[in-house]
Amino acid sequence: MIARGVFFLSVAAGLSACAEAPQDAAHKSGKYAGKVDAKPYEEGPQKLTRAEWERNLRTRADNQNDYKRMN
Amino acid sequence: MARMKFICDAERCIECNGCVTACKNEHDVPWGVNRRRVVTLNDGVIGAERSISVACMHCSDAPCQAVCPVDCFYKTEDGVVLHDKDLCIGCGYCFYACPFGAPQFPQAGAFGVRGKMDKCTFCSGGPEVNTSDAEFKKYGRNRLAEGKLPACAEMCSTKALLAGDGDVLSDIYRERVTRRGRGGEMWGHATAYGRPDAKAQPSPAVKS
Repeated sequence: MIARGVFFLSVAAGLSACAEAPQDAAHKSGKYAGKVDAKPYEEGPQKLTRAEWERNLRTRADNQNDYKRMN
Repeated sequence: MARMKFICDAERCIECNGCVTACKNEHDVPWGVNRRRVVTLNDGVIGAERSISVACMHCSDAPCQAVCPVDCFYKTEDGVVLHDKDLCIGCGYCFYACPFGAPQFPQAGAFGVRGKMDKCTFCSGGPEVNTSDAEFKKYGRNRLAEGKLPACAEMCSTKALLAGDGDVLSDIYRERVTRRGRGGEMWGHATAYGRPDAKAQPSPAVKS
């Protein structure tokens, strides 16, 4: 009786290993998991609105045009 | 909304390495780490030699961000690709994915163990309090928060290296190419900012 019980248990345990779990790794697009970064115009030496900060940088970037600077 | 980009004008770059020096000095970058470097093509070939200054291009669809196993990369609302060094495990996947070889790894100990990745931040620091000591030690200076553009571009003596809002840079470059009538190629621009299947634009015909 005990031997039969052990047999059925071992068969059940053995067959349960036959189930095949899916092994394909699904592609997950990364989601940033780190600390939040402050906006450059919110913290730091100058506290500006986004529009002001953007306008300043745009002017500064435009100064790289040496045709405008020389003439 | 600004979309920060780099453009290197190969017709103007004189391989002076001023950008490299400016970057290293500005951010106190350790020995062995080069956030920016100058690459010369056709070295010594008369008329065909071109130099370009290369660093992280802050790609529109950044491959480093896609492959990072710990998701330490993020993109600011201005299109600057940054990363959190507290999360980085120094695996080097980003280095293999980057078409520009931008990610750098300081040697962190004996036996060539890699430290946390370091790369160009477009002079905009990282996820620490803006312009704080902690930010400077981990990521370098935050010039964008100070209202300045990246040091490499502002230091460039021939203005070969341009940095800033993509619209402004396009206007500057267009005017240059129109005036000189050649040199319209923008090295790495299609790779960084174009569609994946986009081909590089042919250079305009030389005026005779």
